[in-house]
Amino acid sequence: MSAVIPRHRVNVLTGIKSARLIEDPVEYANLIKKAKRPLLVVGPLLLASTADGKILMEYALDIAKACNIPICATAQTKGRIVELGVQPDCVYDTVEIVNALKDPDWQGVKKEGNHDLVMFFGIRSDLGNQGLSTLKHFAPHLKTMTLCKHYFPHANYSLPNFKKDTKWQEFLENLIANLKKGD
Amino acid sequence: MAVAEKKLSKKLEEIHERIKAEVPWEPLGPTPMPEIPDLRQWDMRLLKTYAPFYAPFCDLCCFCTYGKCDLTEGRRGACGIDIATQQARFVLLACLMGCSAHSAHAGHILEFLIEKHGPDKKIDLGGSINIEAPNIRTVVGLKPETLGDLQIALEYVFKEIAHLLDSCHTGQEGSALDYESKALHAGMLDHVGMEVADIAQIVGFNYPTCVADTPLVDMGWGAIDKSKPVILVSGHNPATSTVLIDYLREHNLEDQVEVCGLCCTALETTRYSDKAKIVGPLSRALFFMRAGIADVIMTDEQCIRTDTPQEAAKVGSALIASLDKAMYGLEDATEMDTDEIVRRMVDNKEQFAILDSPKAAEVAVRVAMKIAPQRKKEWLTEEEAIELAKKCTNCGMCEQVCPNLFNIGGGITEVAKGNFDLIRQQFLQCIGCGKCEEECPNNVSIFKIMQTAASMETWKCRAGRGPIMDTEIRNVGAPLTLGTIPGVIALVGCSNYPNIEDIADMVDEFARRKYIVVLTGCAAMVAGMKKDKDGLTVYEKYPPDFDGGGVVNIGSCVANAHISGAAIKIANIFAALPLRGNYEVMADYVLNRVGACGVAWGAYSQKAASIGTGFNRLGVPVVLGPHSSKYRRLFLSRKEEDDWKVMDARKREIVDTVEPAPEHLAYVCETKEKAMPMMAKLCIRRNDTPQGRAIKLNHYISLYRKYIGAGLPEDIHLFVRRDADIPLVYKKEVRAHLQEIGWQPREPIGLPTLIGTYPTKVPVDAVIH
Repeated sequence: MSAVIPRHRVNVLTGIKSARLIEDPVEYANLIKKAKRPLLVVGPLLLASTADGKILMEYALDIAKACNIPICATAQTKGRIVELGVQPDCVYDTVEIVNALKDPDWQGVKKEGNHDLVMFFGIRSDLGNQGLSTLKHFAPHLKTMTLCKHYFPHANYSLPNFKKDTKWQEFLENLIANLKKGD
Repeated sequence: MAVAEKKLSKKLEEIHERIKAEVPWEPLGPTPMPEIPDLRQWDMRLLKTYAPFYAPFCDLCCFCTYGKCDLTEGRRGACGIDIATQQARFVLLACLMGCSAHSAHAGHILEFLIEKHGPDKKIDLGGSINIEAPNIRTVVGLKPETLGDLQIALEYVFKEIAHLLDSCHTGQEGSALDYESKALHAGMLDHVGMEVADIAQIVGFNYPTCVADTPLVDMGWGAIDKSKPVILVSGHNPATSTVLIDYLREHNLEDQVEVCGLCCTALETTRYSDKAKIVGPLSRALFFMRAGIADVIMTDEQCIRTDTPQEAAKVGSALIASLDKAMYGLEDATEMDTDEIVRRMVDNKEQFAILDSPKAAEVAVRVAMKIAPQRKKEWLTEEEAIELAKKCTNCGMCEQVCPNLFNIGGGITEVAKGNFDLIRQQFLQCIGCGKCEEECPNNVSIFKIMQTAASMETWKCRAGRGPIMDTEIRNVGAPLTLGTIPGVIALVGCSNYPNIEDIADMVDEFARRKYIVVLTGCAAMVAGMKKDKDGLTVYEKYPPDFDGGGVVNIGSCVANAHISGAAIKIANIFAALPLRGNYEVMADYVLNRVGACGVAWGAYSQKAASIGTGFNRLGVPVVLGPHSSKYRRLFLSRKEEDDWKVMDARKREIVDTVEPAPEHLAYVCETKEKAMPMMAKLCIRRNDTPQGRAIKLNHYISLYRKYIGAGLPEDIHLFVRRDADIPLVYKKEVRAHLQEIGWQPREPIGLPTLIGTYPTKVPVDAVIH
């Protein structure tokens, strides 16, 4: 139980339907690889750097590159992504991309149909959780996943609360390694 | 049918009587004193383009004894409600709480002032304000001439609130859209209630009016002379704080007792006395109370914290609850002998509710003067802070409960090492809830330690000035509707933002670009809590005029009605459209032609929800900070797909403009960097001339480049109608981009309106001026 105590407890005792907590990077990688039209939504928390100087956004770009996943840049993240040599596939703010995703007829970033798995990474947890709640209730046609270091109960799949950033980074590195392995 | 018509006509007759319809100051429009269904079609038209976007907090409904009901995966509750409708019901309730808070405040003030001055006290807001009550005139259809007339408007608001609240009862309304229409109705009523409150205050307390250059007042705890007895007034209702100032003046004590205020009462009190000091916004309330500087705390109503008696007792501050909205379980001493109250407060440290303003004021002063000499008001030293911080084990519990998501434990740990840099930065992010200290297993006095991070610097805030003058409206009407003044940015609301300095940064950015910047409430205070490299706040740096490049503190929360009122006055004074009982025409004008954008960056309260929703019904979009996603509802369009058709009133043709202007009505941004270009974009209107549009797009592109990154905004093509719309400085780049994506020029619209695109009693002729 202690593992699923949410970060902001009073905000996220959601009642009935909470995220499945996954700690195994292999299981996470398999879920991503299984998706037909995944999307990675990145937020401004990824503009920060780790203790050893790596920009968190690089993890996101590595994940996207490993499986050719389109990137949606929210808030002011586009500029940094471009500086890192990648052109995001689309630019929306969090509430805008969530608004589009909840429409089953939306054709998605690549105009190939709405996405079946949406990964959120680097959006502040209050806003992120509310956006995930929108999708939980109004977008049964897709699954959601988070890659941040905190538990997001409104997602379908979430990481636990990592007490140490290094453990979270280890998870992300293992995830990327598993994604690169292919099927 | 005949019976129904007879009833309707009787009802109209009554309305005509109440609003004195026979007085011919303007022709009467179709909706005086509108009831729930009367503006529903306008709402539905808005909601067609700006559809509600729901983000439920909870999967359940627990309103009645059928429940709790699980509303996930398409399930309905035992009463039949679905998850979307339940969210809309919550939003309506929030708006009703907000509207009630302002309207009850208005009712109390009005009762207090009518007792003092009589109901026939004339409303005179000065020679430059003839349209004294644009919201009341538009919504109610009444031209209020006396304090007694304001009661008529308020009675209408109270009646509508009862009907709206009724609709929240279990098992009634089954449509989220209808609940949203009702929420929009509540928001509109809120602006009427706020207008009543502030007009009454200006008239009854002789607040400054028709003056732009109001005094610059001192702000910050450093401005408070702790060697004197200190009385802290907290809340929103100035009935007691103004009487307190009167008492000090009458007894020649104004220079011997310090009066300082938190939240809107601070703004109100500084409109009455420029010797009063502003402590700061609500986010500084708990911090300041725990600092123990106040000898006496006087609460009135609304944002005052429910634990004020406990916090006051902890530090030995005396407490008086002066209004019935918050009596804290205290003994009601209203009828008690004054000497006896003072004795018991001083000797026994008892706290009382005193609902008689003069008595409360006298007690506050006498108690403050008696207990102040015995009280210690010491600010923590850095050495003491280091010792206190050593108790912190950086366990992370504080971080888990911080609503603003920062690692306070990290800051405290650094203090223990003698490094104060991080805690200073965190103090700017602190919204003052106290959850960290409550949760701390080692009982670290986090707020006390923060004293070392809190600058003793003092700032300046311009005293609130009330309504915009009609003369100012005449001057800016043309440039605003043509777009050459690029917009009005209204920074309003509370202090639940990511960083306290965001507001000053936003003001500076837009005033420098010659937008008109207006402020109210906590936003108006914190705008002054940052200095530039020359040591100036935005109130010292920019002129106080309602003109391009001006920075105007309108006043407290209830002064928000003067911002919506200014938008209405542009339609009425500049465009000469009659406003009386003519809400749809006013709102349609504002939506299509007045480039205004509200920003409630730190909105936390139900009042902010209703203020914002009232602006939305009037056609003013509102940008909210990230916390506001917890309001559960936004109004968003999908720009590439939604209905952007308007009637060109000159040609009588419905035209698809393609342009999302304004793009959203209620929108959450995650960061200040994203909000800046969005605010500029939301000032774009279909009515812009090519010159005006080019100016607006210049700011949109330049803010995008400054805060987001290189290149052009992804949606720039939607806002360029013809080549002349492209700003000169970006001409080459924008042209190349438009050519690349196959953009085609579009015909300009002569007179854009939504009237004629949906079922309404209002004829298209009504929008032609």
